Amino acid sequence: MPGLYLENIEKRFGGVVAVREVTLELPQGRFVCFLGPSGCGKTTLLRLIAGLERPSRGRIFLDEEDITEQPAHRRRFGMVFQSLALFPHLTVEENIAYSLKIRNVAAAERRRRSEELLELVRLPGYGGRGIAQLSGGQRQRVAIARALAIEPRLFLLDEPLSALDAKLREEMQLELRLLQQRLGITTILVTHDQREAMSLADWIVVMGTDNRVHQTGTPLEIYRRPADAFVAGFIGTSNLLRGVLGKDGRVRVGGLALRVETLPAGMSPGGEVTLSIRPEEIPLLPGGREGENHLSGRVTFVRDVGASIEIHLDCGGIPLVSASTPKNRPDLRQGDAATAFLPPAACVVLAP
Amino acid sequence: MVRSRMLPCVNLWLLVVLVFVPGASFGAEKSIKVGVYGGYFKDSFDKHIFPDFTKETGIQVESVAEPTGEAWLVQLEQAAKAGVAPADVNMIAQTPMLRGQKTNLWMALDLNKIPHHKNLLPVFIHKYPDGRVDGIGAVSWYITLVSNTRVFPQAPQSWAEMWAADKKDKLGLLALASNSFLLEVTATTFFGGTKLLDTREGIQKALDKLAALKPNVKLWYRDEAQFEQALKAGEIPMGQYYHDVATLAAKEHPVRSTFPKEGGILDSGIWAVTRACKKVEEAHVFINYMSRPDIQKKLALKVGTAPTVKRELTGLTDAEFAAVSSEIPPIVPRYDIYTGERSDWINQKWTEMITR
Amino acid sequence: MIAERPRGALARLPLLYPAVVLIVFFVIPFGIMLAVSFFRREPGGFYLAEFSLTNYANLFTALFGRVLAFSLFISAFCALLCVGLGFPFTYLLTRMPRPRQVVWLVLLVSVLSLSAVIVAFAWSIMLSQTAGVSNLLVRLKLLAEPRSWSPGFWALVCGMAYLAFPYTVLVLYPPLARLDPHLPEAARTLGASPLRTFFTVVVGSLRRAIIATLVMVFAFNLGTYLLPQILGRPQHWTLSVLITDEAIYRSNLPLAAAMAVFFMVVSLALVGLAMLGGRGRPGEEA
Repeated sequence: MPGLYLENIEKRFGGVVAVREVTLELPQGRFVCFLGPSGCGKTTLLRLIAGLERPSRGRIFLDEEDITEQPAHRRRFGMVFQSLALFPHLTVEENIAYSLKIRNVAAAERRRRSEELLELVRLPGYGGRGIAQLSGGQRQRVAIARALAIEPRLFLLDEPLSALDAKLREEMQLELRLLQQRLGITTILVTHDQREAMSLADWIVVMGTDNRVHQTGTPLEIYRRPADAFVAGFIGTSNLLRGVLGKDGRVRVGGLALRVETLPAGMSPGGEVTLSIRPEEIPLLPGGREGENHLSGRVTFVRDVGASIEIHLDCGGIPLVSASTPKNRPDLRQGDAATAFLPPAACVVLAP
Repeated sequence: MVRSRMLPCVNLWLLVVLVFVPGASFGAEKSIKVGVYGGYFKDSFDKHIFPDFTKETGIQVESVAEPTGEAWLVQLEQAAKAGVAPADVNMIAQTPMLRGQKTNLWMALDLNKIPHHKNLLPVFIHKYPDGRVDGIGAVSWYITLVSNTRVFPQAPQSWAEMWAADKKDKLGLLALASNSFLLEVTATTFFGGTKLLDTREGIQKALDKLAALKPNVKLWYRDEAQFEQALKAGEIPMGQYYHDVATLAAKEHPVRSTFPKEGGILDSGIWAVTRACKKVEEAHVFINYMSRPDIQKKLALKVGTAPTVKRELTGLTDAEFAAVSSEIPPIVPRYDIYTGERSDWINQKWTEMITR
Repeated sequence: MIAERPRGALARLPLLYPAVVLIVFFVIPFGIMLAVSFFRREPGGFYLAEFSLTNYANLFTALFGRVLAFSLFISAFCALLCVGLGFPFTYLLTRMPRPRQVVWLVLLVSVLSLSAVIVAFAWSIMLSQTAGVSNLLVRLKLLAEPRSWSPGFWALVCGMAYLAFPYTVLVLYPPLARLDPHLPEAARTLGASPLRTFFTVVVGSLRRAIIATLVMVFAFNLGTYLLPQILGRPQHWTLSVLITDEAIYRSNLPLAAAMAVFFMVVSLALVGLAMLGGRGRPGEEA
């Protein structure tokens, strides 16, 4: 099967484990994001793939070839570093053509290729400039062009956009996505920004602070069906309620017994669980109401950012957040009594 | 030439300091400051000579370490212009004595106040060209032909042996014309005496003869310790060196010092007083004391210098005398040529000769 | 808000301090030297404060030219040697774990604390026939009989390089430690072997630091005067040795000063040329 396959990879630095027991299969042509908080080992995993680190255990296969022992400079993986690592003593063109020069490509061909790549990253005519003369976004593009110049088998990006301001970052995300789609090249991007991962990737690998992979899947799957409380909390905002699974299949939270539509396999009654409900799935009704899966309480805070409204409730000690669009804005103010409805279909039961 | 194991690097700074901070003479009545070459000489004098002098005369001695080379002369000169004397009596090498004469730096000494001058060998009464006495011999020493007994079981007889083919890359010689006195050695050994050096042609002759010696020289040294170590080890098994130090070393190492038949090189230091000195009486008392045969004997035994007084007055045994001196007439350096008009020319030629 | 200008001497003190230091420790001594270099030498005596160009005229001899050329040559040679050895050394050093780096740096600094005399003596013994390393080579059957390698050109090179090496490493350490570790990694991912990475990226991006270090070590070497006397033969004596001889042994301060001034001018000119040659592209970061 073509693609990247990591088999039981582990990486230790001295006594510290940076990557723990990772087995992953990444199909060809995908845009993959390694997502996780800092220190989760996602960059180390990327460096292991690039050959810049050697795994303490496990094997790496690309298109069924074992590349674990292959040195970095033989792998032909294009990589964009967080610091970009553009060579300060070379011009833009020399930077881009560096890998071509290593491979003894003739000067004229090097020039042609780097112009082509500059065109691709929308920097035509910048070849003669020094690196110090470029803006942050321009450097980004040069770094991308340089990594693509070797016609990489894998395109690796280590948080390349984190240094950019929000607006530029979003532009670059879009460009990166379009570029990848055009070239069809298998791409792995490391990020701690779940929004970035959601908007770029068609496959996300979520890693946790325990240095393990918690979940892999499409962005929507991961958002809708987080595998555990960590993923649910890390991807988007979520109301996480701790409870106990009853014999009747309901989840008891505080004094309430909440009905849920589906229960994951392997859960036994009496066990502790976490309920995850996305804020936008919670409708609010003014005043106190009674009913199944209804929680009444008081509005503690209203955050109106224009495009969406967040209303925070305190329902007898249980904090809840509900989000709605301006159109469906419930007429509630801080201190008002309100009732939240937790639709059984939206209640995702997770291991604690 | 001045002998010391101090390194000359600090001297320029001393000079600068002295130019701006003229030292003033302090001290109570009946005291004297004596400038002695820093290092071995100062240590020896502080230990063996000055305490007894104070005991006998009641004059306190404060010894001042003189830097090597001619830096001390420059300092004395600058100080004298400002009317101060960094030291009242100074041990001065021959060449700077002559240089000091040019500026009338030295105070004329009154021989009547130095009755012991009668004991001295005539060469140790130093005079201005007009006959005024400006210095009395302080210490003298010989530079002789030294060799490693393991490498050369046979003691050399003549300076001429340095030129022999079997000495290739085996000699250690002093690096400067004015401290090696090799021009004098060459003139005496091959040209019948140092009179040869009266003319440029003569000097050139001696230089040419010395140029032939170059392949035999492994080390042109400025630092005594370096040669001494190499001599003891046999690394550089022959050369010129200080007789007293070599004799001392011979007790434990395969080293010998030989007075060649042409004579050893006799170098010396002189007690001199600058015109800025304010303790003239004490200075005379000190110089007189130092000229006493018993003191010269003590110097010979304790410090290893050759006596400046006639041998028979010292009461030194043959062995004691041989350890520091010799009856063979010495080669007396032509200090005048290193201070005269030709000095710069000689130095230039010398450096050209050995660095080529 | 408009910053208030410093008023009065007290407020200017921070600015005055470097000026005072510069004047006291550089301008005044150099001024004295410059002045003395124009004074008239009195043969056999001292010098007179009269303006004269003879000292400079006296410089133009074959001897002076040869010694000057040799001084510049050996300083440059040893600088190249030190940087050639020291740059890879320092690069690997900065890649070590921090505690091990500290051990090495402390070792190097302790070498700096050795005086030139000790270093010169140690080398002259190490290269001697009677007690030197050649005896070891004989025992290892690499050499037929012990040899004497000191004094000589290579003995001098050993001594000078030994003294300048720690200095070289300490000068190279900050730029190499600051080097983005991703730069060589980027080159690796772009297909460059470790060796090629080292030369094209590490050396390339630190070209200016290397040239600056070369210049500093060169200047450091120019001052050497003790080592040539102990480890060199007379033809290896540097100008500093001649200057010392003139100043200390011959009391010819005007000539010594003229030599020193001329030496300095030539050296500065060479340093300037090197700096000019090492100027980077416009906008390139240091």
